Amino acid sequence: MSQVFHDIEKKIITSLRDNPKQSPETLEQSTQLSPDQIRRGIEWLKLKDLAIVTESKTSIISLGKNGIESFQKGLPERRLLDLLKTGPKKLSDLQKELGSVFGPSIGLARKNNWIEASSDQISLKTSPLELPGEKTLQFIGNEKLSKDKIDNDDLSGLLKRPDFIIEDIVKTKDIVLSDSAKTIKLSDSSGEIDVEAKVPKIFVARTHPLKDTIDEIREIFVTLGFSEILGNMTQSSFWNFDALFTPQDHPARELQDTFYLDKISAKKIGTPEQIRNVSESHKKNWRYQWDINEARKMVLRTHTTCVTIKHLAENKPDEARIFSLGRVFRNEKVSYKHLVEFNQIEGIVVGKDANLRNLMGIQREFYKRIGITKIKFWPTFFPYTEPSLQTMVYNERLGKWIELFGMGIFRPEVTKPLGITKPVLAWGGGIERIAMLKYGLDDVREFYNNNLGWLRSATKCR
Amino acid sequence: MPVVELSYTRLQKLVGKTTIKQISDSLPFLGLDIESEDKDLVRIEYSPNRPDYSTDFGIALGLQGLLGIKTGAVKLKIKKSAKYSLSAKPGIEKIRPFVTGIVAKNGKIDDKTIKQLMTMQEDLHFGIGRKRKKSSIGIHDLDKITFPLVYTTANRNHQFIPLNSEKEISISEILTNTEVGKNYGSLLGQSSQVPLILDANQKTVSFPPIINAAITTVTTRTKNLFVEVTGINKEDAEDMLSVIATILQSAGFTLESIKISGAKNSSPKLEEKKMTVNSSLINQTLGLNLSTSKIISSLKKSRLDASSKGTNIICTIPAFRFDIFGPMDLVEEVALGYGIQNLEPSLSPSQTIGNTNPVSLQLKSLDQTMIGLGYLEALNSSLTSKRVLYDMTNRDTSKIISVLNSKSLEHTILRDSILPGLLENLSRNIHESYPQKMFETGTVFSIDNPLSEKFSFSGISAHKDANFTEIKSILQSALKTGFGIKIETKTATNPTFEDGHCATIILNGKSVGVMGKIRSTIIENYKIRVPVMGFEMSLSESILKTKN
Repeated sequence: MSQVFHDIEKKIITSLRDNPKQSPETLEQSTQLSPDQIRRGIEWLKLKDLAIVTESKTSIISLGKNGIESFQKGLPERRLLDLLKTGPKKLSDLQKELGSVFGPSIGLARKNNWIEASSDQISLKTSPLELPGEKTLQFIGNEKLSKDKIDNDDLSGLLKRPDFIIEDIVKTKDIVLSDSAKTIKLSDSSGEIDVEAKVPKIFVARTHPLKDTIDEIREIFVTLGFSEILGNMTQSSFWNFDALFTPQDHPARELQDTFYLDKISAKKIGTPEQIRNVSESHKKNWRYQWDINEARKMVLRTHTTCVTIKHLAENKPDEARIFSLGRVFRNEKVSYKHLVEFNQIEGIVVGKDANLRNLMGIQREFYKRIGITKIKFWPTFFPYTEPSLQTMVYNERLGKWIELFGMGIFRPEVTKPLGITKPVLAWGGGIERIAMLKYGLDDVREFYNNNLGWLRSATKCR
Repeated sequence: MPVVELSYTRLQKLVGKTTIKQISDSLPFLGLDIESEDKDLVRIEYSPNRPDYSTDFGIALGLQGLLGIKTGAVKLKIKKSAKYSLSAKPGIEKIRPFVTGIVAKNGKIDDKTIKQLMTMQEDLHFGIGRKRKKSSIGIHDLDKITFPLVYTTANRNHQFIPLNSEKEISISEILTNTEVGKNYGSLLGQSSQVPLILDANQKTVSFPPIINAAITTVTTRTKNLFVEVTGINKEDAEDMLSVIATILQSAGFTLESIKISGAKNSSPKLEEKKMTVNSSLINQTLGLNLSTSKIISSLKKSRLDASSKGTNIICTIPAFRFDIFGPMDLVEEVALGYGIQNLEPSLSPSQTIGNTNPVSLQLKSLDQTMIGLGYLEALNSSLTSKRVLYDMTNRDTSKIISVLNSKSLEHTILRDSILPGLLENLSRNIHESYPQKMFETGTVFSIDNPLSEKFSFSGISAHKDANFTEIKSILQSALKTGFGIKIETKTATNPTFEDGHCATIILNGKSVGVMGKIRSTIIENYKIRVPVMGFEMSLSESILKTKN
């Protein structure tokens, strides 16, 4: 492999060969590159395993308020000794000259035996050429210096003095070359780049995997001649249950299975004729007192069938292929198998060819188009269809048959009260199940976690 | 769906000449789902409209038909007997007006049979009995009872030894201290009188719909049974009785009648009913061309009797098949008897042209635009929580729409905004690499006589250089490309957005949303360490067109 380097990389490598451990700031000075160029260059070299970046903490030393004063005027004890060079001085005069450092400077000079004190005056004994701390004070001056560059013995005295020294701990990056980079050949032919180098990861923006499945299913049914209708997620119990021949005392209508909205009920639920006919059908077939207030209770729809039945009752078509797609709700404990809110598609066929074998044919065609060919039909029960079937599809990955869409023909007890005279084929089911097959998921909750790691990487497995 | 647990070998004995393989292959074609299998034990899910399938006796009847071992309707043979009578006393009509019953003799009862009968009883109570409200059953040891019986009322001080107890306790105590009493006591309302069945010696037999007396407990030594059903509706009570009678007869008991009288009660007939269906309805509905004789043999396999008169099929339906409401139910019985596996799917060409809803198309185009701008699509539940919607984002809680009795604390309130969900998503992804840019379109809810549902559009951008200019550019560009519209922004304040970094989104002079920098306190609540920009706007009012 021939390594080709960017100019930035070359400059950094060359500089590090001269001076093996540098911070980004020193590299800026030595290479004359901008901070951003240095940052990018280091990042590239890191990806190629040519540079090693270590973070370390450094103590930075600078002078505090009193330190700066002493840097400019000399240490308090030096000022005292200088004043005494011209002869003994009165205490009161010294105090006037030295101000607040009078006390500490006298104390220090006496302790070191530099001065002699009588009752009211002080005279010089000896004046050393260099006092402890003086060299360091001059060395630091107005700079900020790394502590390891300073004579720490000489510094220690200054550190004890108030407001003399400021010590800051800062994080610094050190860049060193890896062993391979120390000897690598830097090509001279500028303009070439390393096309074989690793590059940083970049994430694609995309449709949500579940939405992708929904779009695919929608498109299949549109091409099969179905038109999409929309409807509300909040519905009166009348359309969600009563119109679909589910008696008011049926266990499925209880609070533990269905979400009822708190303190909200529908004002207008249907035409007087619809209400009368539906209630009559319930009284006759289920033998109980039908209550309109029960039908007014608002629920989060438990299926999209309420949308299609309402559409049929309002339009009474002789010929139609219609579907509805959207979220439905069940009051369940959330688990890897169950969500409280999931997507359902539900469709109907009205027309002269509306028979059970055609309904099965539409299902088979749909499954074929999403890539499922191993299917079979079993009888089942739904309160609002008769006959009723369910599709079983074979999942190769799990090695078992799983239940998908349910289907049937709307019962006369459903259609007749609403004035629908033609037979209506209906089918529908959950979309998450299909999406789980597509994306090889075992936990349905993943669809709504919005876990970026998964959203950025999920792939279809079909 | 209810589930019953059975033994394959026992089922095989009941069905007759068949193999276990044939049984397990046929069960789904009766509409029964095999939930799990463990050697000989099988758990079967059955439909609530077929309570006869709550026992292996009932399932065996169905399998016999489907496998062609025994076909045609199961006839109840009830011996008329003068020995047994039960009269209802005035006063009972105000509490639980109807009673009915039957005697079943000379059966063999083993542990498994008792278990099957108990499951059936529970299923009948729950399903067609509507948790014992409509009707309920008591099954008793006949030989511990002296006829004639009375169905009468007593006050709450009445005492007897209830099932699973050793000492006499009062009705009040049963209702307050026992589990069944607590569960079903409310069915009796506030009435001071409660229903009771007493025998000729004034011994308590049953306290419907709560509990039987201990003395009549059915054990493996019991030979003869007395079954009573009480309820608020005569037909429902007799429907229930017909299921039990059919199952007990299949279990080997001989049935004998009880004379029921008094207070508008009368003896049950448990009669078959006749129903006519035209063969053309059958053939049209199924997409077949079956001869009348094939239809008749199919109905017989579904354990019904049938004969033909021209193209009409006259069907005889046993009393326990009260799930059959009308001719369409018979069509299904033909399909089952014919065998669903024999129905070949067929695809007729569509006579209609399909259309995607215009709203879906417009939303899709917006999605594509946002993806082009580098935003990842997120999906959140529309039923969410107060914590996510309001507490974390300081939003106004005065118009909360909540659901009753949610089983999940995270799903109690309908969202009125999408943005809080996206912020919650960011907080769960702080370990993932930045920039993080997401959007979501979906339904939001608001109270509006009674409710309104609107499409809303929200996006967020989180990274160290995120700023107002970026998010404004993105939104402007998305709306221009997606809908060809131009928005303006005007300084605003909002509890979710930082003062001085927040704007109202204005379209045609009207406010349609809000955008800006999310408040640092909210970002801190969520432990997010980079600045976050966001927007949310309504699409419903002036953007989405509902017609092409």
